[in-house]
Amino acid sequence: MAIRAFANRHVAGWVQAAPLAAVLLGFLIAPIAMIVVVSFWGATEFSIYPAFQFDNYEFLFGSPVTYRVFLATFKYALITWALTLTIGFTVAYFLAFHVRSLTMQVALFLLCTIPFWTSNIIRMISWIPFLGRNGIANQTLISWGVIDEPLEWLLYSDFAVILAFVHLYTLFMVVPIFNTMMRIDRSLLEAARDAGASGFQTLVHVVIPLTKPGIMIGTIFVVTLVMGDFITVRFMSGSQRANVGRLISNDIALLQYPSAAATAVVLLCTVLIVIAILLRFVNIRREL
Amino acid sequence: MAKPKVGYSRRSLLKAGGAALAASTLPAPMLWAQETKDIVLRQFGTGVSNLNDVANKVKEDLGFTLEMTALDSDSVTQRAATQPDSFDIADIEYWICKKVWPTGNLQAMDVSRIANYDKIVGIFKSGKLTPDSEIAQGTAPHTVGFIPEPGARSFADSETNWMTLIPTIYNADTLGIRPDLIGRPIESWAELLNPEFQGKASILDISSIGIMDMAMVCEAMGEIQYGDKGNMTRDEIDATMAIFTEAKRNGQFRAFWKTFDESVNLMASGEVVIQSMWSPAITAVKSRGIPCVYQPLKEGYRSWGGGIGLSNALSGMELDAAYDYINWYLSGWVGGYLMRQGYYSAVPETSKDFMTENEWGYWFEGKAATDIITSPTGDKLAEAGEIRDGGSFEERMGAVACWNAVMDENQYMVRKWNEFIAA
Amino acid sequence: MDRRPRSFYVLAAVFGLFVLFLYGPILTIGILSFQGPQGGLTFPMNGVSLYWFRDLFEQQAVGDIWGAFRRSFALGLMVMVSTVVISVMAGLAFRKRFRGSGLLFYAAITSLVIPSILISLGVGLIFNQLGLKIHWATSGFGSQLTWTLPFGLLIMFAVFNRFDKSYEEAARDQGASAWQTIRHVVLPIIAPSLIGVALFGFTLSYDEFARTLLTAGSYNTLPLEIFGMTTNVTTPVIYALGTLTTLFSLSIIAAFLLGAWIMGKRRARLGSDAGKGV
Repeated sequence: MAIRAFANRHVAGWVQAAPLAAVLLGFLIAPIAMIVVVSFWGATEFSIYPAFQFDNYEFLFGSPVTYRVFLATFKYALITWALTLTIGFTVAYFLAFHVRSLTMQVALFLLCTIPFWTSNIIRMISWIPFLGRNGIANQTLISWGVIDEPLEWLLYSDFAVILAFVHLYTLFMVVPIFNTMMRIDRSLLEAARDAGASGFQTLVHVVIPLTKPGIMIGTIFVVTLVMGDFITVRFMSGSQRANVGRLISNDIALLQYPSAAATAVVLLCTVLIVIAILLRFVNIRREL
Repeated sequence: MAKPKVGYSRRSLLKAGGAALAASTLPAPMLWAQETKDIVLRQFGTGVSNLNDVANKVKEDLGFTLEMTALDSDSVTQRAATQPDSFDIADIEYWICKKVWPTGNLQAMDVSRIANYDKIVGIFKSGKLTPDSEIAQGTAPHTVGFIPEPGARSFADSETNWMTLIPTIYNADTLGIRPDLIGRPIESWAELLNPEFQGKASILDISSIGIMDMAMVCEAMGEIQYGDKGNMTRDEIDATMAIFTEAKRNGQFRAFWKTFDESVNLMASGEVVIQSMWSPAITAVKSRGIPCVYQPLKEGYRSWGGGIGLSNALSGMELDAAYDYINWYLSGWVGGYLMRQGYYSAVPETSKDFMTENEWGYWFEGKAATDIITSPTGDKLAEAGEIRDGGSFEERMGAVACWNAVMDENQYMVRKWNEFIAA
Repeated sequence: MDRRPRSFYVLAAVFGLFVLFLYGPILTIGILSFQGPQGGLTFPMNGVSLYWFRDLFEQQAVGDIWGAFRRSFALGLMVMVSTVVISVMAGLAFRKRFRGSGLLFYAAITSLVIPSILISLGVGLIFNQLGLKIHWATSGFGSQLTWTLPFGLLIMFAVFNRFDKSYEEAARDQGASAWQTIRHVVLPIIAPSLIGVALFGFTLSYDEFARTLLTAGSYNTLPLEIFGMTTNVTTPVIYALGTLTTLFSLSIIAAFLLGAWIMGKRRARLGSDAGKGV
């Protein structure tokens, strides 16, 4: 009887999980396997042919551009992470601890999340009339007399890229942090205050440690989104800057699939290592 | 049909062109008019000539349906090479043809079925504009325009009865500039890397075309002497890329562009004052009332040509329809409005009937306009008395220094190009 | 109520700026989409008109916006339904801690964190090598599921973490079969969360770009079409499109919120009937 129940549990589980497993097998595992295989293939002008050669990796690791681009990718990820965390934490903190009525909390929370549901590309290009050499930002600053010459670095620069990243992805920080903050037992805060802790001390010693899982989940989202991006960098830097995603998409555009695959393998390994490290700090399944 | 307006859009431009010329229709063969109605031909190509209004006009004149897909140059190459069953007609450039033909995805066309073949300009047949002109470097159209016999995967050295692409449009490209923001004459390709324009220059991010612009610049600067710009050695590629990579790191470029509309936006908004540009982009900027010149340069032009190729899978009635389409294409209507955007038609003679004398004089003969030159929507492009930048057809196409090219070392070049873009 | 501390006002100001930052650019293009017929892509406004919205409904020089919209809508619905069904099943499965569940969980996490372009590239390569035709409804559909399913699954975890098992036990004690328990007890209780899963499924699909890039085939979805337009269009018509799709997204959210609200009402009304249905 016990054995039957045991078997039943597994079989029922397998049946219910089968569709998910099938989709992931077909459209996640198989493509990854394919990319790994193709990264050893060769390419002609217009086609790829099976082979087992390390040319693609040799070219990749042999080029100084590769290292610069990976470095740039980390740089974007790190700066975006720091900014989204600061902004996201502040916003979530305000919503969770300073807004007093639940209705108001939900309403303001929705206000923040709505842009998330609209097209990323539209949100990205909407910065362009704002930041251009003759854009609103420059014209405003000039008319205020703050600057004489238009600021060149507002558009088609690292600044523009990071601005767009922060704009697109801060929400991925706000939501999980807000979620964990709402689950913090308010009596802990009162206890801290009663024990004589200042607001700042409460923040550092009570709120931040308790919010860590939310921060970690947000970090995972932001870091992976930024590291995998290729379109924001292209748009906002006018193709002047590059990250690894762009390296891959350039190769794809030029039909160099094996080379793209090799870069993709290296990128995937990098992302998975970063995520594995982050996952050591949080148990996602329990924290939801 | 078209409301008069100053803002430029190709859609309205073409629409009005269609209205003006709608009277002229080719008589469709009545016998199988019913069957033709059900024929659908799928064409893809760059946004330059893959226009919905051409499809509408085809439906009107020939009766069958032409489905258009517009893509950027790289995607076009990709689809022609890897997805042969996704198209019936490929509207591609000659350098793309050099890459794609060996795949066997296209079939050669029987020259004897092309009514206006004799009127096609010499550039596409012998390679010479006039009997004594010199052939420019690079992938000149005639070198990849013919094959020895049907089914051949390699090209013929001279004219045969089998054509790979039927030439449709082409032009001589040079740098576009904003004279109002530069304020002095520009005479050489070398100006693109002049530090004076730091942060205000741009180049296009399409390797086979961009590399030729780069070569023109490096040669004009006196930095590199190429054996053959159209077929560089690895060292020449490295040297070229090194010069441009350094310029890029120094902040010479504001942005790179991939489709010609991007270059319009860059130029019109004043982000860029000097850049590689295509003719209709200049037209578009000018029609907004912004001064923009397609600057002839002393080193000559970089030229390109496009043509229509047929999918290998095409046969029977669809193939007949495709031939009808090609003959229609060369019969003047399309040529007429492409010419009025600043391109050239492969059969200029037939296009003449679809242009006014003033337009023909201005766009083709390099004569001073006798009246205002307008885009078909009524946007003023030139005053009476103005002359087209670079002059007449013979002057412009006669001064071509090189063609867009696919080199023997193309794959190496592409990798280096990718590095340059990522640098 | 005690007085607000000073930090409240500082934080409120920060929050206000954040909201402005979120909405500012969208408002900018919202305003610019009302450019006059002669207006360009940037300020100043050259008159005010609905010209570009009208223009949007006419045929463009290149491309096919409305075809793309229809395809994106259909694909969004397909992805939405599949995501809800598959996520619920997987959510139920994970409660059983079946053998291999850990592996499947990590696969789902990988699916969430993998750079989208890799899925695009890999799926494109597989279809290419197998000689299959890529199409938005096959390869595009599958690729998008790898993005929506992990979200759905995570929401299901959140739901079942808060799920009171005693309801199920009660149902079982009453003699309900496993299926009856799910159908009449579990599903009605988690129904409101399913609206969330559906909303995620639809909007993530409707806006998905990178995973569809190399897997959509000959016919573009809306984000691909918009992407094409950013390089192909030199008039404010693209802003008009941006404004319309944003409004469309907003109305979808409103519809879902309304759905959730109605469900909540109904449940409150029927609350006293609980259990009678079984």
